[in-house]
Amino acid sequence: MTAISLPARKPGKASPATLVSATFATVRARLLIVSRYKGQLFNEILTPIVLAAMPILLGRATAGDRAAEVFLANTGTANYVGFMLIGSATFVIVSNAFWHIANWLRWEMETGTLESIYLTPTHRVFVAAGTGIYSTSRSTVGAFVAYLIGSAIMGINPFQGDLLIAFLFILCGLIPLFGMTLFYGALVLKLKEANAMLNLMQWVVNFLMGVFFPITVMPAAAQLVAKLFPPTWMTNGVRSAMLGVGYFFGEWYLDLAVLWFFMLAAPMLGIWAFKKIENSVRRNEGVGQF
Amino acid sequence: MLGTVVIENLSKTYHTKQRKGLFKSIPRDVESLKGISLEVEEGEIFGLLGPNGAGKTTMIKILSTLLLPSSGSARLNGYDVVADDNAVRATVGCMLMGDRGLYWKLTGRENLIYFGALYHYSPADRKRRAQEIIDMLELGDLADRSVETYSSGQKMKLAFGKSLINDAPLLILDEPTNTLDVPSASELRAIVRQKNQQEGKTIIYTTHIMAEAETLCDRVAIIDYGQLLAIGRVPELKASLGREHITRIAGVIPSKAVEAVKALPAVSQATLGSVDGVAELTVMSHNGADTLARLIEVLGQIGATIQKITPQDVTLEDVFIAKTGRTLAENTAVETGAKK
Repeated sequence: MTAISLPARKPGKASPATLVSATFATVRARLLIVSRYKGQLFNEILTPIVLAAMPILLGRATAGDRAAEVFLANTGTANYVGFMLIGSATFVIVSNAFWHIANWLRWEMETGTLESIYLTPTHRVFVAAGTGIYSTSRSTVGAFVAYLIGSAIMGINPFQGDLLIAFLFILCGLIPLFGMTLFYGALVLKLKEANAMLNLMQWVVNFLMGVFFPITVMPAAAQLVAKLFPPTWMTNGVRSAMLGVGYFFGEWYLDLAVLWFFMLAAPMLGIWAFKKIENSVRRNEGVGQF
Repeated sequence: MLGTVVIENLSKTYHTKQRKGLFKSIPRDVESLKGISLEVEEGEIFGLLGPNGAGKTTMIKILSTLLLPSSGSARLNGYDVVADDNAVRATVGCMLMGDRGLYWKLTGRENLIYFGALYHYSPADRKRRAQEIIDMLELGDLADRSVETYSSGQKMKLAFGKSLINDAPLLILDEPTNTLDVPSASELRAIVRQKNQQEGKTIIYTTHIMAEAETLCDRVAIIDYGQLLAIGRVPELKASLGREHITRIAGVIPSKAVEAVKALPAVSQATLGSVDGVAELTVMSHNGADTLARLIEVLGQIGATIQKITPQDVTLEDVFIAKTGRTLAENTAVETGAKK
C-alpha cells in the first residue's frame, strides 16, 4: 500500500490552498451530480426568456406602437426588451443562488450527506462556498445564453453600451449574493424548511430588484428597502452600463463602490449567522434531523 | 493517546416540545444521556450495546462532533470534542448512517475522491487513496458505477470505505451491519476484525445484535435510559451471572406468565419474547433444576401450552436482560422521553 501522509500540522488545521481545493472539489461534485439530470440546462436557458417575454408582450399589448416611447419617458431607455431581458437574466442568477443553497442544505439533510460533510474537518462555509460558486457559474452561463437567444428572438442587439462595466457589476454582485444566501441557508438549517421560504423569497426578490420596472417608480420607503438589497445595485448597474438608464449615484464607480461595501459586509454577516445557527443546532437536535 | 477515548460524566438533554393540537405546545426536556463515564483503550473493539432509544446514537453523535454535550467531556485521540472538534474530525473515521451518507448520483470512486478533498488530501493523494480503498474492499467492478445502482450490501461496504478515507487510528461504526443480509454482514465483520488486528485500529462498534457484539468485541458497555448499566469483557459480564441458570420455554404463552413466573422465589428475572413467531419465555433462576418443576406447574395453571424447554448457557443477551429487565427488541425511545 502506498503511504500517504496527512499534512504535518495540527490535525484538522488546513492551509488556505487546501481549503480552496476542497471548495473546488465541491464545485466539481455539484457539476457531476447535475450533469446526471438531463434537461436542467435547457430549463435554465428557457426560464429567463419566458420570464421576460410576458411583460414585453404585455407592454406591446397595452401601449401598442408607443411602448418604447412611454418606456423611455419613465426609465431613461426606449429599449424595453433589453431592460426586461437583463432584469430576468439577473433575477434568474439571484433566484437560483437562493434555490441552490436552500436545496443543497435541505436535500443533504434528507439524504444524510450533510452529516457526512459535518464529519470532515473542512468547515461547512467552504462547502457552501463551493455550492455558491457552482450555482452562480451555472446560472450566469445559463442567463447569458438566455439573454443572447432572447435578444435574437425579440430582435435587439445584445451587445450595446459598456459591456466591461456591465460584467464588473455582475462579478461584484455575486459575492454579496453568496453572503446573503449563506444567511438564508442558516435559516433553512434552523427551520428545516426550504420550499415555503423560497416561494416567499421569489416574490420579494423579484419586487426589490425591479426585475420588470425601474425601482424609481416605487414609493420612496420601498426604494430605500430595495437599495439595501445588493442585487438591486447589480441589476441597475448592468442596465445603466448597457442601456443607459442611469446609475443611482450618477457615476458607475460610485455605484460599484456601494457593491464593494456589500462585498465585504454581506459575506461577513452570512458567515457569522451560519456559524451561530450551526452551533445552536448542534447544541440541540443536530444537523441531521429534518 | 492515539486510538483512545476518555468520556467523563457525559450528559445530553434535548429541549423539545410536546405538541398539543394545531397551535399549542409544551416545552419538554428529554435527558438522553445521564452522566456516562467510560474509557476505550487503544487497539480494542469496544461494543456499545443498547436498544433503540437507549442513548447510544446520541453518544456516538457527540463523539463524532455532530452534537454538543450538555455537560461533561469526551476526548478522542487526546482531542476534546468541543474545544478541538476539527482535530477530532480529522483523526476519527465514522460510519454513522449506513448508506445514507453517500451521494447516490456520484460513482463510488467520485464519492471517495470528494470526501478525500474534504479530509484535505491533495488532488493526487485523494485519487490514490480512493483507489487503495477500492482495492482493499474489492469494489473494483462497482467503483465507476453510480451508487444508486448498488445493492444495500454494496452501499454499506462503500460507506465503510468512506470511513477509512483519512486512515484514522479510531473508527466509529454505528450499526454497520444494519439492513445487511447474513453473508454481507459476516463479510463486513471480517473486514472490521482485519482492520483491528492487522492495523491496530481502535473501533467503537454500536449494535443491538448481541450475538454480533459477542463474537466481535473485546469489551462491551450496556447502556439504557441514557445510563451505563454494565461494562467489561464479554466473558466477565457473562461470569457475573455465574450462579444464574437460564431456561428458555417456547410455546403458546400468555403475557401474564411473566408476572406469574417472577413471583416464584428462585426466579430473578423473566422476559417474554418471540422467536420465528413462537412465544419464548426466558427465565433466570438461582437453582434451575429445582425451579423447573415449579415453572411447569405455574405455566400450566395460567393456561400456557409448552412446546419446548431448553436450558442454556449464559449469553450476552441474558446479561442485558439481567441488567435491564427487558429484551433488546423492546424500544426504549418512548419511555426515555417519558422519564423526565
